[in-house]
Amino acid sequence: MPEELHALQHRFQDYLEGKSEDFIKDIVSSENALAEHRLGAYYNAYRIRLIDCLATDFPVLRKEVGAEAFEYLVLDYLKLYPSEHPSVRWVGRHMVEFLQHSTHENRDFLAELAQFEWAQGLSFDAANSDQIFTMDAMAVIPPEQWPSMSFAFSPSTRWLDLYWNIPPYWTALDTDGKAPQKQIEEYPTRWLIWRKDLRPNWRSLEAAEAWAIEASFKGANFAELCEGLLEWFGEESVAMSAAGYLKQWIHDEIITDIIINA
Amino acid sequence: MTSKNNKPFLGFGLGLRSDHYQEIIDQQPKEIDWFEIISENYMIDGGKPLYFLDKIRQDYPMVMHGVSMSIGSTDPLNMEYLQQLKNLIDRVEPIWFSDHLCWTGVDHKNMHDLLPLPYTEEAVNHIADRIGQVQDFIGRQMLIENLSSYITYTTDAMTEWEFLSAVCEKADCNILLDVNNIYVSSYNHHFDPLEYLKGVPAERVWQHHLAGHENNGNLIIDTHDHPIIDPVWDLYDKTAALLGPVSTMIERDGNIPPLADVIAELNRAREIATPHYHANHA
Repeated sequence: MPEELHALQHRFQDYLEGKSEDFIKDIVSSENALAEHRLGAYYNAYRIRLIDCLATDFPVLRKEVGAEAFEYLVLDYLKLYPSEHPSVRWVGRHMVEFLQHSTHENRDFLAELAQFEWAQGLSFDAANSDQIFTMDAMAVIPPEQWPSMSFAFSPSTRWLDLYWNIPPYWTALDTDGKAPQKQIEEYPTRWLIWRKDLRPNWRSLEAAEAWAIEASFKGANFAELCEGLLEWFGEESVAMSAAGYLKQWIHDEIITDIIINA
Repeated sequence: MTSKNNKPFLGFGLGLRSDHYQEIIDQQPKEIDWFEIISENYMIDGGKPLYFLDKIRQDYPMVMHGVSMSIGSTDPLNMEYLQQLKNLIDRVEPIWFSDHLCWTGVDHKNMHDLLPLPYTEEAVNHIADRIGQVQDFIGRQMLIENLSSYITYTTDAMTEWEFLSAVCEKADCNILLDVNNIYVSSYNHHFDPLEYLKGVPAERVWQHHLAGHENNGNLIIDTHDHPIIDPVWDLYDKTAALLGPVSTMIERDGNIPPLADVIAELNRAREIATPHYHANHA
């Protein structure tokens, strides 16, 4: 371990994080620029770069709190969650947790807003699917094999359970439209998020579909889906309803494969 | 084309930026000989960036340029990062890969900035050893780039070009010589940029960067968000005369203009450098 270099780097980093000014004495001052002025270039760049990065990851959170408040929010965030990843892509990964434990008066709303924006990012650069299952492929599965069908989903598919009306609120602010009233429900709405045509998509799910997609993710086959959906549908219509969900998922391009378990 | 010492000469390239993806695919501009990608932007699992990367790679040679290797840090090398880099190299098959002569953090933190190193023997030995480890792990030689810097350490025992040369000779790696960074640092630290150019081993200089910056009066900050200024073009002219054919590209990271504007700058680089190359080969 190069001890002098190690100590010097600690002093520099402490300076950048605002923990100590000891590092100033390691720097040569010149007539045209004092050490403090020279170090300011790094001190400011560290903050500006990460504020800009998180403004890209959380554009509507920034609009919601305002540009100046967002800067302070990021500075507070970095004190608790300094980046520990080589890529700036992951600097914001603790933002939801940070907001949940903040003292902000709208912390629950802001945390859900951040959760929605972060989920879009995760969907945006999630792994690609090797294939997308199509209705044409569905059509050749013999009816007697339907009960044993289980489903594989694209890696970009995920869901969020949100108490607030975040997605419509987000869309309005993102397009500079008039934001709807903030509304909170007693029970959360499940929002499906996935990537289609290289962009994040989302839609809300009714309780039955919310249950069905979670069960399918966990490996339930079509027969088990129908059995579980009896809580919402009668015996005469349950298979049709389950097939309707499956058709919608194929249309959404989130099903990558259908596995027939003999 | 290769230069006198057989280093590859790729011609004149651009930094690949997402703002230009579609234009590049639609127009396939012939003035761009190759692209440099920021490695970390593509260390992801899938989606749009990798989609465009793969598409554009089909039509252009590429090199990879990283910002997070932190080769000068006293933390252990991040092997997870290096594995991701290696995976990306396998995907892109770049002509070469590069990173900066800098450190980005200690104690497993990342400041996401290219922080300068003290020019000491201790640092030379430490960094050369780590470059050796990286080259062994990746299985290829790498290029190391000089920084723009705003500070001088009280412990510096040599010039920046002596430091860069010592590291690269000891590690047996090549140099990405950023002409704008030499200009910026010479302004900030009052040295003669020609001394710098004459002080580096020419045979190891495999690539140049050109970029714009922001002059704040007392200090120039390397921002990559302005057009290249005339004094940097002049320095590039002298660089081409001194070092001969070296693959050159333009970096633009902020206020990104239409592709045609950056291509116009690239054509200017070509017009400046090419006569020197022909003279050298005559």
